[in-house]
Amino acid sequence: MKYMLMIYDNAGTRELFFGPGGKALSEEIDALMAELTASGELVGGEALADPAQTRSIRPNHGAPVVTDGPLAEAKEHFGGYLMVDCESVERATEIARRWPNARFAAMEVRPVMNTGGGPDT
Amino acid sequence: MTAPETPGIEDLLRQLGPQVLGALTRRHGQFEACEDATQEALLAAARQWPEQGVPEQPRGWLLAVATRRLIDEIRADRSRRAREEDVTAESAQLCEPAPGEPQPPQHDDTLTLLFLCCHPVLTPASQIALTLRAVGGLTTAEIASAFLVPETTMAQRISRAKQTIKAGGMRFELPEPDQRAERLRAVRHVLYLIFNEGYTTSAGHDLQRVELAAEAIRLTRMLHRLLPADGETAGLLALMVLTHARRHARTGPGGVLIVLADQDRSLWERQEIEQGLGLIEQALTTAAIGPYQLQAAIAAVHCEAPSAGQTDWPQILALYTLLERIAPNPMFALNRVVAVAMAKDPQAGLAALAAIEEDSRLAGHHRVASVRAHLLDLAGDRAGAAAAYRAAARLTTSLPERRYLEARAARM
Repeated sequence: MKYMLMIYDNAGTRELFFGPGGKALSEEIDALMAELTASGELVGGEALADPAQTRSIRPNHGAPVVTDGPLAEAKEHFGGYLMVDCESVERATEIARRWPNARFAAMEVRPVMNTGGGPDT
Repeated sequence: MTAPETPGIEDLLRQLGPQVLGALTRRHGQFEACEDATQEALLAAARQWPEQGVPEQPRGWLLAVATRRLIDEIRADRSRRAREEDVTAESAQLCEPAPGEPQPPQHDDTLTLLFLCCHPVLTPASQIALTLRAVGGLTTAEIASAFLVPETTMAQRISRAKQTIKAGGMRFELPEPDQRAERLRAVRHVLYLIFNEGYTTSAGHDLQRVELAAEAIRLTRMLHRLLPADGETAGLLALMVLTHARRHARTGPGGVLIVLADQDRSLWERQEIEQGLGLIEQALTTAAIGPYQLQAAIAAVHCEAPSAGQTDWPQILALYTLLERIAPNPMFALNRVVAVAMAKDPQAGLAALAAIEEDSRLAGHHRVASVRAHLLDLAGDRAGAAAAYRAAARLTTSLPERRYLEARAARM
């Protein structure tokens, strides 16, 4: 079963991870990535650039309108994701709990939809 | 596609793959290295045979090439460790049958291989991947694409599985007699998981993708040939064949899900159904009964009904009642609820549902909500059914099922 682990940023986390003190956190992430690669559970993942670089597209009377900046002046922004294929939602949650970001900002675990239907009984 | 005879070569290679790997591992013992060598031999054959023709003794050809690769690997390994040992003796030993040792029949090797790949120390994901590669003869890329994961992910799963086997010191031999039944149960379960995976990941009519359901049937048929008297293996094969026979009726244009009751039964594969019926009848009359046989028997009752309305529900209810008794499982209990409603009336079904829905293993499962929706629908409670269909729609992770449930909710 595939799950997406969504990583959120708040005002402090970008600096925390990408600033001068972020080396230890990066190493922690590298070690977890290596572990998930070795176990065959890692499907993919990306970190997103700063929210300031966001372009938003919103419908306006049925037509898409483009603006600079994120959708809302939110306290948290979607910052990156991890895609895993693992046994259970408990295992996916465990991975999220161990992800260093979870100590500083929110994370979400969500199952990915599949295109099959299951046997017809 | 290349030459028309290519599918023949592919089938031949996948049939010979486990035999070659089995013979090699029995002789030499290092499953990990033997598996790599066999893969390389299969790849070499897939490249050469379509152009140069199939050798007169294809199995011998593959075994010779795989043995050469294995020796190369051992030599490289030895020189890596800078050891000065003479490998010539070992090479000769690899090529010749061990003196005095009778050649065990090839089928023993394939069975031993299945037991090894489905060893209980491996995770289900690893058992599945290794079985498909070592016994199914699929490439890592094919397995990865069947499971919709990157090739590197699948390669890791396979290599981890092989490392676990190596680290655990697992021997290439049949399990002890007192463990046979338990280990065989594990093998059947892996085959069943492969079959189900074929349904949950199916991404439409992608001809390049390996069809996992068909592959599971092929492997189970092989197991059934090796153990014809095993009733549960026959039952599993019958269950797969009978379920798979309905595949063309399961989806409509654009991948729309069509439930059993609404299927066009003329699209069912009659010949396959006949085959499945033959298998289950034979098993039920000759072997000890088990859960796969009962599930196959239920599938058989559905397949024998000329229309949904003519389904023998009392018979299905009796089979589910027996199934739940010999193999207690919340999903069987839930399916039995539907049978109660159909054999008696929707109210009886709702009462049976109320009795089992406290089971924590069913908590949050979309099937509970969709069964409730179906029963309320039958009972004429349109508002209740609509709410339950919507609840089920939110809980499923299957896209076609979500569309189906939303459509039902909208129709209430």
